[in-house]
Amino acid sequence: MESLSDTLWDVVICGTGLQQSLLALSLSRSGKNILHIDPNEYYGGPDAAFSLQEAEAWVDRLADPSTANRGFRSASVTRPEGSTGLSFPRAYSIALSPQLIHSRSKLLSQLVSSRAYRQVEFLAVGSFFVFNPAPGPDQKPSLARIPSTREDIGFDTTIPLKGKRSLMKFLKFVQDYQSEASTEIWKPYADSPLTDFLQKHFKIDAQLQTYIIALTLSLDGKITTQDGLAILFRHLTSMGLFGLGFAAVYPKWGGISEIAQVACRAGAVGGAVYMLGTGIKTHESMGDELQLHLSNGETVKAKKLVRSSDSVGEPGISRLVAIVGSTLNGQFEALVEGAPQPAVSVIAFPSGSLHTSAGKVSEYPVHMTAHSSDTGECPVGQSILYLTTVATANSKELLKNALDAFLEAMDEDPRPQTLFELYYEQTKGAGESTKDGAIFNLPGPSLSPCFDDAVLDPVQEAWKEVLGEVDTEYMTFTDREGVTDEDEMYD
Amino acid sequence: MASDDDLPTIKVLLIGPSGAGKSALLTRYCDDEFDPESSAATIGIDFKIKRLVVRGKAYRLTLFDTAGQERFRTLSTSFYRGAHGVILVYDISSRASFLTMERWFDEAEANTAEGVALYLVGSKLDKAETGREVSSEEGQALAEAHGARFCEASAKTRANVRDVFVNVVDQVVQTPGLLSGRTRRAPGTVAVGSDEGGYGSGCSC
Repeated sequence: MESLSDTLWDVVICGTGLQQSLLALSLSRSGKNILHIDPNEYYGGPDAAFSLQEAEAWVDRLADPSTANRGFRSASVTRPEGSTGLSFPRAYSIALSPQLIHSRSKLLSQLVSSRAYRQVEFLAVGSFFVFNPAPGPDQKPSLARIPSTREDIGFDTTIPLKGKRSLMKFLKFVQDYQSEASTEIWKPYADSPLTDFLQKHFKIDAQLQTYIIALTLSLDGKITTQDGLAILFRHLTSMGLFGLGFAAVYPKWGGISEIAQVACRAGAVGGAVYMLGTGIKTHESMGDELQLHLSNGETVKAKKLVRSSDSVGEPGISRLVAIVGSTLNGQFEALVEGAPQPAVSVIAFPSGSLHTSAGKVSEYPVHMTAHSSDTGECPVGQSILYLTTVATANSKELLKNALDAFLEAMDEDPRPQTLFELYYEQTKGAGESTKDGAIFNLPGPSLSPCFDDAVLDPVQEAWKEVLGEVDTEYMTFTDREGVTDEDEMYD
Repeated sequence: MASDDDLPTIKVLLIGPSGAGKSALLTRYCDDEFDPESSAATIGIDFKIKRLVVRGKAYRLTLFDTAGQERFRTLSTSFYRGAHGVILVYDISSRASFLTMERWFDEAEANTAEGVALYLVGSKLDKAETGREVSSEEGQALAEAHGARFCEASAKTRANVRDVFVNVVDQVVQTPGLLSGRTRRAPGTVAVGSDEGGYGSGCSC
């Protein structure tokens, strides 16, 4: 077998997050020879999925300044006292950056055209809920399901007739928002908050505004009219695309992590060589080549290097993952006959709906996705909850309070038990890709609860950068499988 | 006639150290070919499909090679998902290759469901007379320690090649609950590709 240092690699890719993995897939299948390495011992980088043991080891590494990873910080694991019922560590697959993928996302069409999709199992994302705090001291908080189709709105019993009419009018508008006539209407509001537009143009009341903002999954809840309409349009046009009653999907066994691994496998099928636990210590330019000194002591030569940008270290979001000993009945119901059973639901805690023990009200929304055991991320009989909010001085407490309030709202007796909690903060990455001679730096990961197609653009840009002007269609490949014609009979 | 997609699918993996002869076994079984010159690491094929009938019932057998990811032991957890059987291959003419098998068993056991059919294969049996470095008893003992079945085979002479695959498939279909009659798509999953059946096959209206 050829040694690594004897080869002049077309591209060395460092990191196995989604972007790098898709790039490895596209380049290796376009005939380039690729060495794909990752300083971590696992695939996925910021998109990885961990067993409990791996999660605890990760937390320990983050606490150690010599192995700390600049993308994450302040991680801790809690196993609530007296809680029982946690299964063996490998029965869990905790996604570090779980994201929903809208059915109309370019990611799905690229996975299909590159033929990588068949190794991924996709599950339906079902209902979106809005959290309502307890109205009085002796009352319980509750969840209201957001109606997101016109039929849904028609059947909803909680929205007054006038609200229904304005909501229907707005949804109709969204579906046509790119037309010239509609653009003229929203353009003046483009950069102002979507709530202003809803209020002024559609006379939609504050309660219904929270529903619409919840559907956008906007991290700070202050999404602009222009961005909000784009996301709502994607949501509405995704509805029903792959089946009844759902607008988004989630990859089984840990979300994006699974796609990254499958893309790497496809890269390997195309000839890419894989090494984990190996990073780049230093590099230097030698004429047209790069010399890369790897952490395992080897030196390799490459024409190009693609890696991720250093995290800028600014506070980004706080995340809390909780494993609970309940199936959370009611969270994963198919709402239309013939629809697939959803494995994921979304719960939005609007700005102002939570408060700290000192009485400070939440400035930003908290988003939670509830995953059933169908995701393969926890054993049967349990569920896994992923909560995120903008990182602030109080975000950890607010996430805990959101978790408590949600379990309270479940109205189960006894109250579902938390078996394991993982808290961490994820910092913001660079916003754009950069080029430095033969080195291409991909931007940081998106922190949104739903997959952002913009993440795919720098990957295609890097692909073009390596291939130059070519006449090949991006990410379009034929099957690589061998089918034998004759049947075998064994009796 | 039922399409291939309606058949119950059996997923079988071939793992083991580089150069053990995994692809040679696969190619001999699927295409009845053997290339003595081919020693290049395996690239190019995602998986092989073979339709077969066992005890009167048709199955779609998918066979996954390592695509070279065994070289630095970078097979992903996703590679192992849903596997019904794992064939662990070492070279009987290489002591070093046999010595890695404990770790390959560990990896397979950690990443697959309980009850998965494990089969240890000592390959290159044609070298038994001239270059054997691992006795058949040692192979047998290792297999037994892991509850796996064992045989030695040669892709070059065809010896025992078919038996390996037949026995794995037979064990899979005989193990209650392992296959659970599932077809290609697990319940609750949705189709995102246009050529798949199921929820996504119709139009969106």
